Amino acid sequence: MSHDTIIATEGLNLWYGDTRALADVSIQVPDRKVTALIGPSGCGKSTLIRCFNRMNDILPGCRIEGKVIFHGENIYDNGADPVSLRRRIGMVFQKPNPFPKSIYENVAYGPRIHGIRDRRILDSIVEESLRRAALWDEVRDRLSRSATSLSGGQQQRLCIARTLAVEPEVILMDEPCSALDPIATAKVEGLIDELKKQYCVIIVTHNMQQAARVSDYTGFMYLGRLIEFGGTTQIFESPRDELTENYITGRFG
Amino acid sequence: MTLSPRRFAKPGRLIPAGTGETVIRVLLLSCAGLAVITIFFILAFLLRDGYPIFLETGTTDFLFGTEWNPTGYPVAQFGIIPLIAGTLCVTLGAMAIAVPLGISCAICIARLAPPAVRAVVKPAIELLAGIPSVVYGFFGLIVLTDWIRATFGVPSGESWLAGSIILGIMALPTIISVSEDAISCVPREFAEGSLALGATHWQTIARVIVPGALPGISAAVILGMGRAIGETMAVLMVTGNAAIIPSPLWNVLSPVRTLTGTLGIEMGEVAAGTMHYHALFGVAVVLLAITLVVNLAATTIIGRLREQYAPGKMLGRAVPGILRVPRLSPGVREWAQKVLLVAILSLIGLPFAGIAGYCGCAFLFSLAALSWRRVTPRTTQKIAFFLISAATAAVLLILAVILSDILVKGLPALSIEFLTEPPRDLGRSGGIFPAIVGTLYLVAGAIGLALPLGIGAAIYLSEYRTEGRLTKIVRTGTELLNGTPSIVFGLFGFAFLVLFLKFGVSLIAGQITLGLMILPTVIRTTEEALKGVPVSLREGSLALGATQWQTVSRVVIPPAVPGIVTGAILSIGRAAGETAPILFTAVVFSQRFLPDSPFSPVMALPYHLYILATNIPGAGANRYGTAVVLLLLVILFYAVAIGIRTHYQKNTHW
Repeated sequence: MSHDTIIATEGLNLWYGDTRALADVSIQVPDRKVTALIGPSGCGKSTLIRCFNRMNDILPGCRIEGKVIFHGENIYDNGADPVSLRRRIGMVFQKPNPFPKSIYENVAYGPRIHGIRDRRILDSIVEESLRRAALWDEVRDRLSRSATSLSGGQQQRLCIARTLAVEPEVILMDEPCSALDPIATAKVEGLIDELKKQYCVIIVTHNMQQAARVSDYTGFMYLGRLIEFGGTTQIFESPRDELTENYITGRFG
Repeated sequence: MTLSPRRFAKPGRLIPAGTGETVIRVLLLSCAGLAVITIFFILAFLLRDGYPIFLETGTTDFLFGTEWNPTGYPVAQFGIIPLIAGTLCVTLGAMAIAVPLGISCAICIARLAPPAVRAVVKPAIELLAGIPSVVYGFFGLIVLTDWIRATFGVPSGESWLAGSIILGIMALPTIISVSEDAISCVPREFAEGSLALGATHWQTIARVIVPGALPGISAAVILGMGRAIGETMAVLMVTGNAAIIPSPLWNVLSPVRTLTGTLGIEMGEVAAGTMHYHALFGVAVVLLAITLVVNLAATTIIGRLREQYAPGKMLGRAVPGILRVPRLSPGVREWAQKVLLVAILSLIGLPFAGIAGYCGCAFLFSLAALSWRRVTPRTTQKIAFFLISAATAAVLLILAVILSDILVKGLPALSIEFLTEPPRDLGRSGGIFPAIVGTLYLVAGAIGLALPLGIGAAIYLSEYRTEGRLTKIVRTGTELLNGTPSIVFGLFGFAFLVLFLKFGVSLIAGQITLGLMILPTVIRTTEEALKGVPVSLREGSLALGATQWQTVSRVVIPPAVPGIVTGAILSIGRAAGETAPILFTAVVFSQRFLPDSPFSPVMALPYHLYILATNIPGAGANRYGTAVVLLLLVILFYAVAIGIRTHYQKNTHW
């Protein structure tokens, strides 16, 4: 692959209790590109993405084997700290989850917990993050209103702004548009296109058209395995694996 | 779009944030640990002081002896059968009153009442739960026993019947609110499915909604029963307290004595270390065991209910195994129904209306049963709704009668002097100032102890859980203590704080005892409030690189504050109204001055009322005055708590 790898897994296995959710997954995710993970429900794509920022740690009964390498360091090493990791690998969830605070406080939350107290710096971070999330013009007059008063699409862009405010290197998106209408979806997709100039974006989706529209690379997962990984054009036009071809042409899933 | 310079220092390696997190974690863990140790310490101490009686008298003689005469000469007798019989009689009677009324009222609130009515009735029922037991006892002693005496022409109205009525009223709020929750939780789709098939509203309620809510309703009944078994003061004041088995067994006008009543009466007069002393601890252990079984049954059922209605689960099994009625052939079932009907009729008919009324009832019911098949569903619905509304009206009427009696007779007794002066002439005149101050001291101390400890433990359990052994132990312990009768705490406080640590009857002993009593409530309500905050918010914060404590303190706790505050206020209300735990640990009847150190005894409102009502003849106006002050104080706490909850329920959207 011609691009630098920013995050990679080696022989990653994951169990929820007795159920094996990931089986020997090895993937190399390139920097400053959009990588999409597709596959039928329950194939492990959300589980995989949650391994990148160790969000699976907080689930009870979860056991992980194998390595996830971020900047040459295994993030599951004993000394590695999930907190400083998550600062550098942000995440946008399937269902918008703004905090029950004001719009301003939602975006300022991240910078605040990382020690920024100066009001002017906070103001500029909030404005810049909202601008980059293409939300500024819609909310500039009501920053002190509750975030829960926004529409679903606006809430999701607020969550993206909140993630951008801590300036991560990787942004994980777990089906970010599944709860949104087509217009809001189009806005978020446009945003993803902007984001890849500066960030590595990994997106989970079960909308294949979306994967084809927004991503540079695509991985197809099935029953906890990474079946095929490659350039999006190649995956969609000339898949090497029969399973991938069946899924993409809609023969199952 | 321009790229801004990175503002955050970028650590090259993923190193942990620092020692602050660890300190907080250890702090919370020690709260949880301390809570566990206390909980098991109480159990161990009760057993320590209780087991000699089992050795000395013999387990069989103690548990199955029919004679309770601890001061008998030459031989004292410690058989607790009469006490168990008393507890059983009073509890069963209470259930016979509370279950039909309570369930009807719950159905009415959940499914029939228009929103405006519901908005009034629900908080009213919750207020009913807030009235201190000593106030119920006072009402029972002054009004109810007198009514029974006059109505049935017996020398004294202090009886099984009086105890059952008072306990029934006290169990009502528990039964109503838990059943109402269960009924409201039955998914709307069930009801819609039934209505869409052309069933009437009542058919839907009777055949779909109530069966669906049956586990919750059973739990409600069991919890109400637990409350009735563990109640001390009210029972003590109205049952007459003769340690005899009613003869004949259904003589509801016979005086009885319960397990709790025995502890309340005798503990204050017993010399430590004697057989009598150990026998009382033995009684406490038995009481604890009974409430334990009752509460475990309730939690198990509620647990299953939660599992069943968990999102994404099929609702195939509508009723869990233990509650499934064995399938009977139609003939047998018809007979069973008839037997049940007769049993219910004898329960209701006999005491209230005598033979004539019983025959009348039986006649009416059999007439109804005969014509049942020919009645249209619409008429059935009318009858059912009428009965349900009547039951609800009855509950509200009871509340109104109790409140109005106390307010009408008590408010005129209030005056500035009454509130600011010490009592004179054994409380017949003068005021109750030291009692008000004493109660406030006791409550402040109890909250000061229970709040930090309980909230810390709850945060640890809910946020730092690794669902390990500790979590399980704390949870079991809290559940054990939560259902423990308050008199048992009083016993523990007496044996450990007053005698063992030599605090004497003192303010601090009372504060600690009350604090321990409300600790489980604080832990549970805090945990529930924290659990109510969606997991997605925690994930959102953690995904931004927040530490565990940053997430907890900035994202999880703020929305949970109303819930935590509500729990705390309810605990304050409970602590202010409780008498049994401070009976032998903290209070004296009359004191001219305020306590000058934590080791001096205090006066307290509930105890003052208890003594005025039972031991001081001719304290008429001041009795009602004290009752009103206590009632208003506790109701104020409850009203604030209910207000906070309603306000935030309206304004919370995730």
